[in-house]
Amino acid sequence: MKSTLQIGNDEKFNASLFFFVIAAAQVGVGIHGFQRVVVKDAGHDAWISVILAALFSHIVVFFMIKTLELYPSNDLYGIHLDIFGKFIGSIVNIIYVLYCTFAFYSVIKNYIEVINTWVFPDLSQSFITTVLLILVIYAFTGGLRVMLGVCFFSFMTGLWILIVVYMPLKYAHYNHLLPLFGHDITSIFKGAYSMTFTIVGFEVINTLYPYAKEKNKVQKYVHLALLCTLFIYLSVILVSLVYFSEAQLERTLWATLTLFTVIKLPFIERIEIIIICFWTIIILPNLCLFAWSAYRGVKRFKNVKGTTFIWLFSILMFIANIPMQSRTQIDDINNFFAQIAFVIVFLYPILLYIMASLKNVLRKGGRKNEKG
Amino acid sequence: MKKGNILIVLLLSCILVTGCTSQEILERIGLVTLIGYDAAEEDKVTATSVIRQINPELQSKVEVQSETESTSRGTRVKVDMKTSKKLAAGQLRVILFGEDLAKNGIEDALHTTMMNNEISTSIYLAVVKGTSKSLLEYPYKDVTDVGQHIYNLMDHNIEQQHIISSTLHEIVRDNYSEVRNFALPILRKNGEFIQFDGTAFFSHGKMVGNLPAGDNFYILMMQDNFKDSTLELVLDGQSIDSSKFEEKQLQIAIDSIKTKRKIKVVNPEQNEFDLTIDMKCRLLEINSLIPTSDAKLLEKIEKAINEKVKNELSRILKYSQEVNSDIYGFGEQYRAQVRGAKLTDQKWREMFQDMKVNVDVDVEIIRNGVFE
Amino acid sequence: MFREPKKNATNSNEQQNKEEPEKLPIPASKREFLDVLKEKVHSPADLVIKNISATVTIVYLDFLIDGKILNEQILPILEKEQSAPPKTIKEKLPIAEIDLSAELNKSVLEMLIGAVLIHSEGHSELVIAKISSYQSRGLSAPENESQVIGSQVGFNENLATNISLIRRYITNPNLCNEKFTLGKDTMTSLSVLYIDGIASEQHVNTIRQRIEDLDISDLLDSAVLSELIDDNSFSMFPQLLLTERPDRFCDGLLSGKVGIVVNGSSMAILCPYTFIEFFQSREDQNLRWQIATFIRLLRFMAMIISIFFTPIYVAALTFHYEVIPQPLLVPLSESRAIVPFPPIIEALVLELIIELLREAGARLPTKVGQTIGIVGGIVLGTAAVEAGITSNILIIIIALCALASFTTPNYLMGNVIRILRFPIIILAGFWGFFGVMLAFCFLIIHLLRQSSLGAPYMAPIYPPRWKDWPDSFIRMPLPFISRQSVNSRAQSNNQETNENLAKEEKVIR
Repeated sequence: MKSTLQIGNDEKFNASLFFFVIAAAQVGVGIHGFQRVVVKDAGHDAWISVILAALFSHIVVFFMIKTLELYPSNDLYGIHLDIFGKFIGSIVNIIYVLYCTFAFYSVIKNYIEVINTWVFPDLSQSFITTVLLILVIYAFTGGLRVMLGVCFFSFMTGLWILIVVYMPLKYAHYNHLLPLFGHDITSIFKGAYSMTFTIVGFEVINTLYPYAKEKNKVQKYVHLALLCTLFIYLSVILVSLVYFSEAQLERTLWATLTLFTVIKLPFIERIEIIIICFWTIIILPNLCLFAWSAYRGVKRFKNVKGTTFIWLFSILMFIANIPMQSRTQIDDINNFFAQIAFVIVFLYPILLYIMASLKNVLRKGGRKNEKG
Repeated sequence: MKKGNILIVLLLSCILVTGCTSQEILERIGLVTLIGYDAAEEDKVTATSVIRQINPELQSKVEVQSETESTSRGTRVKVDMKTSKKLAAGQLRVILFGEDLAKNGIEDALHTTMMNNEISTSIYLAVVKGTSKSLLEYPYKDVTDVGQHIYNLMDHNIEQQHIISSTLHEIVRDNYSEVRNFALPILRKNGEFIQFDGTAFFSHGKMVGNLPAGDNFYILMMQDNFKDSTLELVLDGQSIDSSKFEEKQLQIAIDSIKTKRKIKVVNPEQNEFDLTIDMKCRLLEINSLIPTSDAKLLEKIEKAINEKVKNELSRILKYSQEVNSDIYGFGEQYRAQVRGAKLTDQKWREMFQDMKVNVDVDVEIIRNGVFE
Repeated sequence: MFREPKKNATNSNEQQNKEEPEKLPIPASKREFLDVLKEKVHSPADLVIKNISATVTIVYLDFLIDGKILNEQILPILEKEQSAPPKTIKEKLPIAEIDLSAELNKSVLEMLIGAVLIHSEGHSELVIAKISSYQSRGLSAPENESQVIGSQVGFNENLATNISLIRRYITNPNLCNEKFTLGKDTMTSLSVLYIDGIASEQHVNTIRQRIEDLDISDLLDSAVLSELIDDNSFSMFPQLLLTERPDRFCDGLLSGKVGIVVNGSSMAILCPYTFIEFFQSREDQNLRWQIATFIRLLRFMAMIISIFFTPIYVAALTFHYEVIPQPLLVPLSESRAIVPFPPIIEALVLELIIELLREAGARLPTKVGQTIGIVGGIVLGTAAVEAGITSNILIIIIALCALASFTTPNYLMGNVIRILRFPIIILAGFWGFFGVMLAFCFLIIHLLRQSSLGAPYMAPIYPPRWKDWPDSFIRMPLPFISRQSVNSRAQSNNQETNENLAKEEKVIR
């Protein structure tokens, strides 16, 4: 295999860091308003959908890591090239790079929408894009170590928001959750499907895996991270369900933020304004990791320097940002992205695992034949 | 490196050019702390705003401005034209509705308020007997800032559970819920004071009836588990101790320490509910002739209280059934407890009117002060 | 920027090496010797030439040598030994540091440090008797890093004294001392100190390499050296510690750091240093751990308050009036009522005034400095509020921030924290909380990018070294403190990971 990555020991990271990376990559803009889409399908059983979606992500991650374990020092792009050959593999790689770019774009777009709606109605979109891109460039040029550090700090500094989430429970009506399983199983599954946009992010493991120091421990930490984000999502959806009435939830665009408006602390009110601004550091890991994933793919085609790549990438993002301005367009983008993400993140890895293990068996068989 | 520097300089200038946003400096805006809506002719609304302004003499000035226009935003523009400072609604604390408007329906006003990101969902709503304009524009002797006065008035009364909690969030939640209605406290100008004058019942955003302030205790008792509230009761003296209280009525005051309310659907087909209220309370005031250490006597008092509270509750329930306003959440309980209930708005309205409730009150006096 | 001069430095070093072999022999005749010598040192006023006899001449620089030894030990013997060869003189003189030299340049250098050159007619060899005496200040308490409990001695400007101080603290044969000379014009000597077996070999090599690569004309203070050898000269944050406390220095050495002591400077350098360690004080270990923990946490809080409090005030008052709770609203807006400027200008002006006061106080003599503090702080503050230029609430906030920034145990870090506020206030004034968050993100990324001697600056927070966490934020009771942080640990750590990797490889296979 020619495509094997050469990674020095200094460039590798402790497996425990993957916990923070995956958790930070998963929590992003989706959490601001995922309740609406899930509740539309699953009603007051939306929390079951959240658990289901998390369960699926566990299964998918399991297969992802099993696939990666077949190629201990190679990432998804190398695996594609190995399985599909140079030509088809390259096409698949392009699709994945495009997916990462699209994810990056979608995150930026949604965040801008939130800032413009809630905090600064007349702050120009290009400005927000520019400053976010500058932060991404600054982190990206520092190397993977810095980007993973951003993930780590994002997780650590964002923990306080979890406490705030529970404060609106003063107005909770717990009977909103009853009766359990009031909706049929298909609508619950539909709700789980609607979670896609919110729950993706863990696929960065595809490109990060070769950088783990203790590869056998990675799986444990990634699953722990998924459990952690499940806890976050579950908290948010449960609090929202008991706090809002169902019909109200369907009409609230950013339920999580509306949830926060009710909180009054002795020294500060309207905590959602602070949280929205604080979200910069929560989405920064998303942006960095997606940009980096795209970079690893681009590197397979042409050996570009990280700095060159990120500048070009940022300019592309900046230009792409200009035409899309309205809420409905962003909704369309989100729906489209969710569909793509469902295929690429949830369905494809299982297929890939089957193919990779088949190929592995065949190769071993071939070797035996040669020896025999 | 040099190329990068030039790019950074370009970017920074881009930021400065594009990133200007309108400032809202605290002392240079007029803070609307209270808005009162009244119905006017030709479907127009009259909005009366209480605006707090800071003038350079280091004093804050409160201005009350009133305008009539067909949308509430339109009134704001008109008021803006009359004030020296730009108006901002981010510190809005209370919204009042005139009685006429409340009877015509306040759903539109609620929707407008919810759409506005400036306004927190923790603000209070109330109905004014008469028009809110006359309530607000009257120059009260001891009240310098009528906006803050009404806010504090509502805040501590809701905190002490003397009136029903009417935050915007709760009202909107119940309004959009298909199986629940909401109620608002009624304010009234009484000479030089503003005081509470009962509870207004709403059905589908329209005020359909009201009960006097004395019934608040019972309404709250049925609405939720409440923590502390003081209740004055007039018991029939004879039933307690006929030797001492012939013909006399026994006045007592109790203070609830812990109350548990339970609504149970006993018979879904018959539409029958059990309402159990379990109250632990302490005795605050009682006729000095009654020896409070007498356990038997206390038991008798408890029984008398039970009977009295039960009668009151039944009376209030009957009234709300008459006006068809389920502010207690019977519908919610029905939906939660009866699987596959599929309650719709219309269906529950019919069911609520002919539902049967078995009220059961159990009062226990667990403390009776420091002096017998 | 830093790498380029390095290349030059190596080049010029090579050139120097080529030039050096030009050795000047010492003329045998007395007159010739004196002429050459005078030419070499430009016959300064303090050059003393003394003819003991017809053949023996001694030369030295006044004030650099110990006159007592010269008078009592050297002169009587030289007078006895008329016209003896240098070898005999060397044997006869009862002086510990005595040498023979046939090379002029080296002898002159020795003379400049404080040696007596003894020339004997007809011999092209010199006796060099090193009897230098140092003019140095006595040991005094450290001014800038005072502590209540603990030793009260600070470094002074003398390398020898400083090293003796350190040796008194650490009696250990493993304490290595490598001598370097830097600066073409000053020939400043400096010592690199570390404890073999505790300090990481890699860090010692890095320091050695960086010092050797330096090509500078002069070096007058260790602070200059610290900037020359740190990792990123563009960063505001200090990456090496400058300390004037020998106990802190030794504490650093014992936990595996490398120290540099420069002659003529009362500040010693310790490296690698991490961000967190700048907020720890040596005194923390002298207090009970509960109290020390409280103080440590207080310092971190003070740092956060100091950086973000004023910007948050500016942001809230300029853009986010919604977040101000109702009880605060009236006092806040009333205090601002007659201020003619927007909050950003007001805050910047006040911050600037505080900086002016601090700078004026630092430059003036102590007694006058106090007056400045009172005049500036009280008179100016009150007058500004009364004149309606600033609001009194902001004065409180600014004073609080200034106070908080002074709790940082390290002066350099305290400076950084104070200066950092300015850009953040500007960002807050333009883009409210969003601007503050941008600054916060930028700061975090910036700190993550830094390294000190190649070791990550944010360690042990990131990369997470869980074992070092407890003792970083709080002060653990002494029995629970592991002496060395992972960051500066010598070999054990690498071995561990290598073993882990080996194990893992096996598992995969």
